[in-house]
Amino acid sequence: MFTKVLIANRGEIAVRIIRACRELGIETVAIYSDVDRAALHVRQANEAYLLGPAPSRDSYLRGDKIIEIAKAAGAGAIHPGYGFLAERDDFAEAVQDAGLVFIGPRPSAIAAMGDKGVARATVAAAGVPIVPGTEGIGDLSDEDLLAVANEIGFPLLIKATAGGGGKGMREAASLDEMPGLIKSARREAEAAFGNGNVYLEKLLLDARHIEIQVIADSHGNTIHLADRECSIQRRHQKLLEEAPSPFVDEPLRQKMGELACRAAEAVDYLNAGTIEFLVDKDRNFYFLEMNTRLQVEHPITEMVTGVDIVKEQIRVARGRKLRNSQEDITLNGWAIECRINAEDPYNNFLPSTGQLTSVIAPSGPGVRVDTGVYAGFTITPHYDSLISKLICWGETRGEAILRMRRALDEFRILGVRTNIPFHQKLLASPRFMVGQFDTRFVEERFKFEENDEEQERLEIIAAVVATLVTHRATQEAAQIIRQSERDTSNWKWVGRWERMQR
Amino acid sequence: MKYIATIDDRSFEIDINEQGEIIADGQRLSVDFHSVADQPVYSMLLNGESFEASVSTREMTVEVLLRGRLFLVNVEDERQRRLRETTHMELEQEGEFTLAAPMPGMVVAIPVEVGQSVEKGDNLIILESMKMQNELKAPRDGKVSGVRVSPGDSVDQNQVLLTLI
Repeated sequence: MFTKVLIANRGEIAVRIIRACRELGIETVAIYSDVDRAALHVRQANEAYLLGPAPSRDSYLRGDKIIEIAKAAGAGAIHPGYGFLAERDDFAEAVQDAGLVFIGPRPSAIAAMGDKGVARATVAAAGVPIVPGTEGIGDLSDEDLLAVANEIGFPLLIKATAGGGGKGMREAASLDEMPGLIKSARREAEAAFGNGNVYLEKLLLDARHIEIQVIADSHGNTIHLADRECSIQRRHQKLLEEAPSPFVDEPLRQKMGELACRAAEAVDYLNAGTIEFLVDKDRNFYFLEMNTRLQVEHPITEMVTGVDIVKEQIRVARGRKLRNSQEDITLNGWAIECRINAEDPYNNFLPSTGQLTSVIAPSGPGVRVDTGVYAGFTITPHYDSLISKLICWGETRGEAILRMRRALDEFRILGVRTNIPFHQKLLASPRFMVGQFDTRFVEERFKFEENDEEQERLEIIAAVVATLVTHRATQEAAQIIRQSERDTSNWKWVGRWERMQR
Repeated sequence: MKYIATIDDRSFEIDINEQGEIIADGQRLSVDFHSVADQPVYSMLLNGESFEASVSTREMTVEVLLRGRLFLVNVEDERQRRLRETTHMELEQEGEFTLAAPMPGMVVAIPVEVGQSVEKGDNLIILESMKMQNELKAPRDGKVSGVRVSPGDSVDQNQVLLTLI
């Protein structure tokens, strides 16, 4: 059984995993790139070793080097976190071949869920509903695609078989525009992935993105930890998540949970993972994909279930049984997570880099902050822009929202721009408060820069602040000129004068 | 001392008296203005009401982040205003605009070409940085006069990418 873990990641998630290890009495090994020498995860781990230059491909993606460091440091296991190497079956395989434990699923499960076609076919065979589309065949000709398009129905999505991240994806509203869209989707997919194959999928309207957390041990137990609502997204990036979903009732939760466990069992799943579903307005749900790793938004599930998912991951990896059975899992209250990104919401969400001059995190009842930064740390353009996760718990959804608004007001980050103002506006929007939103809400119906009454009142306050700052700067400039006439204090000057007279 | 603060097209006349008092838009208010811990953060008590704002100055504009909102304020004293009014110095729309990279990254796409007319808000360059594709948009209407980079190029911060006339 391992007693030392290497964390193959950086930022807040590396810090989160170090915390779990320390609570379990396990030693930790951090790895870092040139620009992360002073990062929080390096400061908190028991040991830390340099990987290489800043770009990910020379550092956090160097699986070979990471395994070497783990062996040299005597670590018995590697936790990949999320991103970087977390969903690379070849890395998981290499870790095992080196005689180390990979804290995550088996390589075969990562591979099966990583290929979109295989994943859809596997879970469909296990009786899990999938979004209607061209199943199993990824290399249809244009004629075949047009023929099958009518059967699927419009609107539909043209997606790249090898794709991801919205590349090579097109929305088609009618048969007429299909030929042109297929052509441009193929061109984009060819350029991005070197593979111009596309497939079709029905476009669900008013769909929500709701996911189920699952965890499985090596003794044949798979349980789910209920749902998370992740519909608040911008360009396929989640911004805010909550648990449970305001849209899911108890019967639906049970049904989705059971099918999520079944989907996981279909690939002989081990450790923590997440099944993402699309849920339409009639409460039909369809398998979207499985994330075979720890999720960014895992803390909200921890808050409402009381289960420490990362510690459970480590226990499972040590060969232990899950601490809870499905019957033990009950939901208590409501939790919301806001992803605090170094992005400027006033300038098209452009990433913002630089040194953090001041960070004051919120605290108080029901507030949790998972972060990897501190005042004085520099945000570089090499890695993603997530700098902190703010998680608030409340007895009810209403309390959680109000608590989050309070906590966002307390959060002070200076030196880079953050998306905190976006969250503040979102949490005050009536549609969010009543829970009426889908995956297109932020992009299509939410107006970030809309003015209101408060705006007018604050304008004059802002004008006063700006004027006082300008006034002060002018005064100081004037004083500096006066001071230079005699740069020492009058007392010193008198003292010197007296000595001269002796 | 008398100042004129402008936000968009609304102007406020603000008169600063020496002893903790201002007159804003004709209203006499007591003010206590305090900078916090040597940061560009200010705590202001205005007739007892407490406000906190972070402030940064970019060129002529004071950016005030207040209660989760950003205000861009132009502040002038009376003399500057008179000077500007007599010389008719207006913010000019003419001249060349240079689009510089706001951060290091890789050029993913350039949806415009030299000679093309663009409208304010049109995408000029897609720049990948921090694992995100960022759209750099036109700040005003104009015509693309030069493109200095190609898709796939790695660029440094402040490197000139494109010019508009």
